[in-house]
Amino acid sequence: MNIALHRIWAVMLRNMLSEKRNLIRLTDAIYWPTMDIILWGLTSTWMRNNQLQIPNIVLVIMSGLVMWQVVMRANYEISISMMEEMWHKSLINLFASPLTVTEWVIGCMLNGLIKTIFVLFFGAGVVWLLYALNIFTMGWMIIPFVFSLIMFGWTTGFLGSSLIIYYGQKASNLPWVMAFLFTPVSGVYYPIATLPGWAQKIAYALPTAYIFEGMRSIIFTGQMPYRELFISFCLNVTYLIGSISLFIFMFERSRNRGLDRL
Amino acid sequence: MDDKNTILMVDNLTKIFPSRESTGKPFVAVDHISFALEQGEVLGILGPNGAGKTTTIQMLLSTLTPTSGAITFFGKDFFTHRSEILQSVGFASTYVNLPANLTVTENLFIHGRLYGVEKKSLGKRIEKFLHTFDVWAVRNQEFSTLSAGQKTRVMLCKAFLTYPRIVLLDEPTASLDPDIAVEVRRFIALQQQEYKVSVLITSHNMDEVTQVCDRVLVLQHGTIIANDTPTALAASVSAAQVQLMPGDSLDALVAYAQRNNLPYTVQLPWVSITVDEHKIAHMLNGLAQAHIDYSSIAIEKPTLEAYFLNVAAQSRHHRQPEKRSS
Repeated sequence: MNIALHRIWAVMLRNMLSEKRNLIRLTDAIYWPTMDIILWGLTSTWMRNNQLQIPNIVLVIMSGLVMWQVVMRANYEISISMMEEMWHKSLINLFASPLTVTEWVIGCMLNGLIKTIFVLFFGAGVVWLLYALNIFTMGWMIIPFVFSLIMFGWTTGFLGSSLIIYYGQKASNLPWVMAFLFTPVSGVYYPIATLPGWAQKIAYALPTAYIFEGMRSIIFTGQMPYRELFISFCLNVTYLIGSISLFIFMFERSRNRGLDRL
Repeated sequence: MDDKNTILMVDNLTKIFPSRESTGKPFVAVDHISFALEQGEVLGILGPNGAGKTTTIQMLLSTLTPTSGAITFFGKDFFTHRSEILQSVGFASTYVNLPANLTVTENLFIHGRLYGVEKKSLGKRIEKFLHTFDVWAVRNQEFSTLSAGQKTRVMLCKAFLTYPRIVLLDEPTASLDPDIAVEVRRFIALQQQEYKVSVLITSHNMDEVTQVCDRVLVLQHGTIIANDTPTALAASVSAAQVQLMPGDSLDALVAYAQRNNLPYTVQLPWVSITVDEHKIAHMLNGLAQAHIDYSSIAIEKPTLEAYFLNVAAQSRHHRQPEKRSS
């Protein structure tokens, strides 16, 4: 086999030059390990502090895992709709048609809703099959919380899409980065009290903190936490309106530069 | 200018892009252009690369926001009636694709629905256009598997599928075989004659523009420098090409051209002399008097291509970024 060093160097150079112009790709290498360390470090701390005397610990973690997938999927479906049009170079066809941005937004949200519900049931099925745990033991009380999570996923999806529509494929990693950014402060696997004080303040500004605290409360007490549910809905509605407004604003800014460049 | 037959009216349309890294100055892509398009008219937009053709089309599709100016379709302001107007505007470009992982029929169906074509009639209409553009055989193939020519034809199906009153075509025949391109031109002519569809077309194919267009706008540096019929534009270039096959008189013919300051090229067995169309007879008379024989002669009258080359040459010669900044 004939291996030429200059060709290997050319491949390395090609990747390095590409990364130099796409710092987001480079930050991936730092971002993901850091987030995992924070997330699992805090989960371990919570378990150690309670000396594993937490009722339904596996159910709590598994529910968190499946429910966070709801957020990630709702986020993904919004972002991927935009990116697919860019990958296929078909964005112009779409927005040179009578379609309005608002119609596109509603279409993506509904499509995301269907897929997210599928992911929820699929995830719950896998947990039941592999671990004999039923995350639906929370009963009907889980439904409003799931919908609240979907709303938060849409919010992060539109935040990411706002950047994609303006910066193009350079920003294609951002939707994943953005949604995951909220994981440690959402208390997905552990109570918000596990977080340091400053992080708790951030957490309580997010609807997800109330959602996961609420769901844990259902698992531990069997009671519906109406206060958490109400606050999470109020925050979600506010943030969702904000993120859709930002998306429409960025779309118009992008249209000012020309959608054909994307 | 504004009457019931006017389909499109563009008034002082301007697009200035913010400063570019390379120049640090704003870039005027389209500079106060105004024109109108009548019902059933085919209007060509010609110009060298960077003249502002695609920028103009993008603004007419609302995928690019103008800096200033007004666009009126069917007597209605485009910026306040965008969705309603685009319902009647078809569009195809060689450089824009449809979703690659959907089949041809799926793509056309989705576009039909976007434009509100009734489900009942949509299937039949898709079938009709797939046959018209000879892509029926690939109807169930994913768009990504099509050749460049097939993709272009599917895009043309899309453009005419939705009962448009006006169709914007950005280099629609760029990747087509000549025989298919001829069919496309015939189709456009038919749409114009039978359904009074107006067409705005950009093309680099001068024969196509000459054959298809009723009128041509010539853009240079973002401004309209000519607005006339293809024949009138061609006639504005007076230089014709006289091709002679001189045989033994080659040296004498070349000497004659040099003596009379006539530009010439030698590509044996032909010598091509550029001469004002009105002075051809005078030149041939001069050759006869000088006993310069030739066995064959061909005269190429001024064409739109000659006009375009002239404009493009001027454009390259005068291109100064400073002049284009505001």
